[in-house]
Amino acid sequence: MNWNSIVMIVCILLAAFAVWKEYARVNKSRLVLRMIAALLAVLALACVALPLTYQRDIVKQDKNEVILLTQGYNTDSLKQYATVKTFTLDEKIKKENAKAVLLSSLDQIVADSTVTRLRILGDGLDKEELQQLNGLPIVFYPASVKQGITAAAWAQKLKAGEPLTIQGNFKNASAKKVKLVLKGLSTGLDSVMSNADGDNPFQLTTIPKNTGKNVFNLLAIVGTDTIEKEDLPVQIEPVKLLKVLMLTASPDFESRFLKNWLSQSGYAVAVRSAISKDKFNKEFINLDQFPIDHLSQATLAKFDVLIGDLAVLKTLNGGEASALQQEVTQKGLGIIIKGDTTTHSTSWLQRDFPTDRLALKEPLPVPLLLQGELAKTDKFNAGLVYIKSGGNTQSLVTDERAHVFAATALAGSGKLVFTPLNNTFSWMLNGDKNDYTNLWSLLIGKAARRLPVTENWNTLSAIPTMSKPLQLLLQNAVAPLNVKINDVSIASAQHSLLPFEWEVNYWPGAAGWQSVQQAGGLVNWFYVYKDNEWSGIRAANRQLDTRNYIETNHLNSLVTKQIHEKATIAVSKIYFYVLLLIACVFLWVEAKFL
Amino acid sequence: MAEQTGIHKISAIRKTYIVYQLIADVLFAAAFSIVIITIVNYSLHIALLWAVPVFMASLLVFVFIYKTWAISNTSIANFLNRQYPQLEESSTLTLKPAAELNLLETLQLQKVEAELQEIPLPHKAFFKRIKLALLLLAIALAVSWLAGSVSKQVHYTDGKRLSAEKTAVPEKILPQISAVNVHVAPPLYTGKATRQQDKFILNVEDGATVTWHITTNIAVKQIFLLFNDKEVIKLKNTDNTQWQVNKVISKPGFYQVNVDGKLSDLYQVQVITDQPPVVRIKTPKQYTYIDAGEAQKININTAINDDYGVSSALIFATVAKGSGEAVKFKEYKLNFSSSFVGHHPQYDLQKLINLPDLKMEPGDELYFYVQATDTHQQQSRTDVYTVTIQDTAQLLSMDGMLTGVNQKPEFFRSERQIIVDTEHLLKDKDSISVEQFNNRSNDLGIDQKLLRLRYGKFLGEESESDINPADDKNDPVGDIKNYGNAAVVLDKYTDKHDNAEDAQFFDPELKKQLKATLTEMWKAELQLRLYKPQNALPFEYKALRLLKDLQQKSRVYVAKTAYNPPALKMEKRLSGDLSKIDQPLFKQDIKPGTDQFENLKKAVIVLEQLKTRGQINDADKHVLALASQQLSLKASAQPGAYLPALSAMRRILSNQKGVNVTDVALVEKAIQKTLINAIKTPAAGVAPTDLGLSRDYYKNLKTVN
Repeated sequence: MNWNSIVMIVCILLAAFAVWKEYARVNKSRLVLRMIAALLAVLALACVALPLTYQRDIVKQDKNEVILLTQGYNTDSLKQYATVKTFTLDEKIKKENAKAVLLSSLDQIVADSTVTRLRILGDGLDKEELQQLNGLPIVFYPASVKQGITAAAWAQKLKAGEPLTIQGNFKNASAKKVKLVLKGLSTGLDSVMSNADGDNPFQLTTIPKNTGKNVFNLLAIVGTDTIEKEDLPVQIEPVKLLKVLMLTASPDFESRFLKNWLSQSGYAVAVRSAISKDKFNKEFINLDQFPIDHLSQATLAKFDVLIGDLAVLKTLNGGEASALQQEVTQKGLGIIIKGDTTTHSTSWLQRDFPTDRLALKEPLPVPLLLQGELAKTDKFNAGLVYIKSGGNTQSLVTDERAHVFAATALAGSGKLVFTPLNNTFSWMLNGDKNDYTNLWSLLIGKAARRLPVTENWNTLSAIPTMSKPLQLLLQNAVAPLNVKINDVSIASAQHSLLPFEWEVNYWPGAAGWQSVQQAGGLVNWFYVYKDNEWSGIRAANRQLDTRNYIETNHLNSLVTKQIHEKATIAVSKIYFYVLLLIACVFLWVEAKFL
Repeated sequence: MAEQTGIHKISAIRKTYIVYQLIADVLFAAAFSIVIITIVNYSLHIALLWAVPVFMASLLVFVFIYKTWAISNTSIANFLNRQYPQLEESSTLTLKPAAELNLLETLQLQKVEAELQEIPLPHKAFFKRIKLALLLLAIALAVSWLAGSVSKQVHYTDGKRLSAEKTAVPEKILPQISAVNVHVAPPLYTGKATRQQDKFILNVEDGATVTWHITTNIAVKQIFLLFNDKEVIKLKNTDNTQWQVNKVISKPGFYQVNVDGKLSDLYQVQVITDQPPVVRIKTPKQYTYIDAGEAQKININTAINDDYGVSSALIFATVAKGSGEAVKFKEYKLNFSSSFVGHHPQYDLQKLINLPDLKMEPGDELYFYVQATDTHQQQSRTDVYTVTIQDTAQLLSMDGMLTGVNQKPEFFRSERQIIVDTEHLLKDKDSISVEQFNNRSNDLGIDQKLLRLRYGKFLGEESESDINPADDKNDPVGDIKNYGNAAVVLDKYTDKHDNAEDAQFFDPELKKQLKATLTEMWKAELQLRLYKPQNALPFEYKALRLLKDLQQKSRVYVAKTAYNPPALKMEKRLSGDLSKIDQPLFKQDIKPGTDQFENLKKAVIVLEQLKTRGQINDADKHVLALASQQLSLKASAQPGAYLPALSAMRRILSNQKGVNVTDVALVEKAIQKTLINAIKTPAAGVAPTDLGLSRDYYKNLKTVN
């Protein structure tokens, strides 16, 4: 039996007793009045004992706003909110600002129903933290990032020999020029001077000499002071050697040099060059010998790239031609077609690549531009035939006047690369190995059959740090067994729509390289940054996330301004004391004086 | 009272004077001390605080030299008398006691007293020294400021030098070693004296003998020197604290001192190799051609440099006689006249060779080169230089002209005739009279002129007859019958380019040579007309040589060739029986060699971890030890570049407490320097692991289309 019922029973009994006593009184004058007074007194007594509340509509915005301090807030902007309650999640801010109340989680603000609006000072909150706010309206006017790297992008996985290129933006607020230096193995590899004041897009590049897991550094230096030092984790993998089949109409220097270069780099090369009618010169380098006189789909399946003269490919007999087309469109074999002077043909190999001749008598040596390379090649006699642009092709090699000398097009799941260049070996003869390897690496890399892999790990968090949970994405055909991060088993969750995607949530315990491995899979690595790294980008990200939160919760905050919410308010006891007193005084005065 | 006021006034003036002079002394002292301090600071770099005692001292000196307080009232009064006529030479009266004054003096005193009150306290003469002092002070300040700005620059460079020295790691010596004395005896060829040093780091000449004298502070059992981690040299002891050994250094590298099993730091050994001598021939040119008539002498002017000393230099000359199969060679070794006893590092040598002394005749060639040997028996030699004497016999021969292809007109041959005549005239010079000689010389000049004019026609030059048309009696324009005949006038004065006779069919190159020939003819004619046929000969020869060249050029032609291949029978093409022909087959396996930098690359990963972790475990140690071996090989070849990294690596390996980040950086830098550039090779992309989703997408896309 609770307090309320006890009080009620007692009061009813008391009221009955009081009424009976009044009724039993000798002096019957003013009986009704006395009975009412007695009842009122009992009622008042009951009300004093009972917790009486009532509901009332209140306007939400009338209620109090609190301030949350986040990293990057300005002390001056806090002054105008001197009377407002201030909270923070950061111990450092607590130390600077004793007035702020340190919270362990945002739930504590959300749970307080009196808080109707949150004013966030500083750079804002992370996505995870914003989720905890549960739609609470916030006010957020961030200051833009003053100085630092506000954007940076680089390939985190490279193949040996590929250049590492970092592009980004440095915002400079000072009047001094800032030097951005790319460092690897404690050696300055590339640097650029940023202008004073304003946004400075930058690009730094180097060809890493090392393989494996590497951490490069990006330094911002003013004078002799390093104002920012960021890690650039890069994994450099050795190149997987490809198998190349070369078909030539006659033995020529171009294929000979290509064969020598590829085979010396360890690639498997099979060459079939026609020397007479149905007579071939065959070479197998780094490859077991097998018949290649007639091309079957089984033969072609052994290779990743086919490099062939257009004349040879066009004159393949029916069975060979269809086997080739099947292998390319269905299985993804790539073909590099070395064009000749025929400008048009209906063959599927040349249909996408109509060629034309330059209006010159003698071809002039011109520097070429390779896709993905900033520097031009040495001057080179590219010949008169060029590919007319247009169609569904992507140009790979052009000269300065945008004549295309190599282009690629999709052919089912495979790729066709077409080039009229037939004397690139002259670079090699001139000792210019660099341009030669760049050109053929580009062409073969574009055409090569894509390597099948069984698993693919990705970090979803852009800049994973120790203080935040990170998400890893595994693309895998079957459900992963026992995912281990640093030898700790972690559960994985399947994507609700894509059956081959699995998500792993992990809270890193240390900065640096972390290993992740599923049972039966290879060891993969991801990098966890220190808490103080990439502060500029992370601040910008937090601002963006917080703004997005405002966007998505905009409707919510508007509605709450108009709806009057019910609030429970306790009735003050003073009224009942007064009522009791009046009733008692009436009874006493009536008995005494009247 | 009157006397007193006068005395007071004069003593007031005296006080003013003394104050001004003292101020002047202070200023002088300041100027003097500023100059002194500037000079001393510039040369000895002492602190500027020394200015204070210097100033005090110089002030005392100045004050006591002048002793301005010693000036008496009488001197002041006398000064006033001289300066102010109104005092009437009587101001001294105020100094006299009143009792000694006679009546007249009393009267005069009263007058002077009144005047004295009017005189101002300072006189402009008082300022004289102050002005001078101020000027000196200003000059002193300017000088010190200038010196300061100069010395600032000096300081700046000093600072740079200091910082450079600071980067050189100070040598760490084992605690047992109390003293080390290294004697370096440079090899004989350097000609340098033995030197001593108290450091282990060696920078010695190739082949130098180095003797180590090591003194230990406690008795030790044995001391070794460990060179490049391989070679061990034991030191011999005289007693248990005195050790010594010597070694000839010929390879760069590094070494360590091993005292009773304790290894020292790594010490660098750098070897200064001897450079071979550098020989440069200033004259003659690489190809020298001595024309007929020129002096048959050459002057060989050579400069020889070596880093230590030149021991000898020789001219190796070869004379080639004859031509074709009959060519004969004769070799000579010629000494320079100067001696090489001094073994100086630099010589400027000259040698005059008279070619006939080497039995050289016209048409012969001399090949020579200069070879120098330095004190280390290293030799170097120059390129071969060639001197040719013109063969006049060849030039005058008729061989070329007798051949059928010669198409040139007759007059091309007369330059040769002029030469023959000139030589004949010179031979006859002694037997004929001067007048006759001059006449014949002049005649030859006329012949030369005619020849020149005839050549000039080829170039389209005006003939001499054009100069004065009035002399020409056959001028058709001058004929009265042709009056008004425009065709005749036009014919004379127009330049008929299309006329086949006049058309200049020579190419520009040929014309240039013709012009050069004409110039030579001009010069020859000049000398002939001056009755100096001897001087004319070289020009005549040159003209003849140029003409011969012209002749040779005109003979160059290429025969037309004609080849008519038989027509192809298309039906027979590629129809041969090839069944018995084997197809060539070639099989090869080229396996790329193992990566020689594998160990270094592994070490990089370990070093990266060390930066954050700071502790080293056994597995890491093994990886780093392998990398260390590779670095040690590098360091023995290039100690200057790799030794700091190697010692840093050793520190990392030996340090138990923690790893120094600067050591890691040093090692990383060395590894980056060692690794070779990665070469780009083709790489395939990666197929998505999407259960064939994208493939299905493309397939369905095809069916939709």
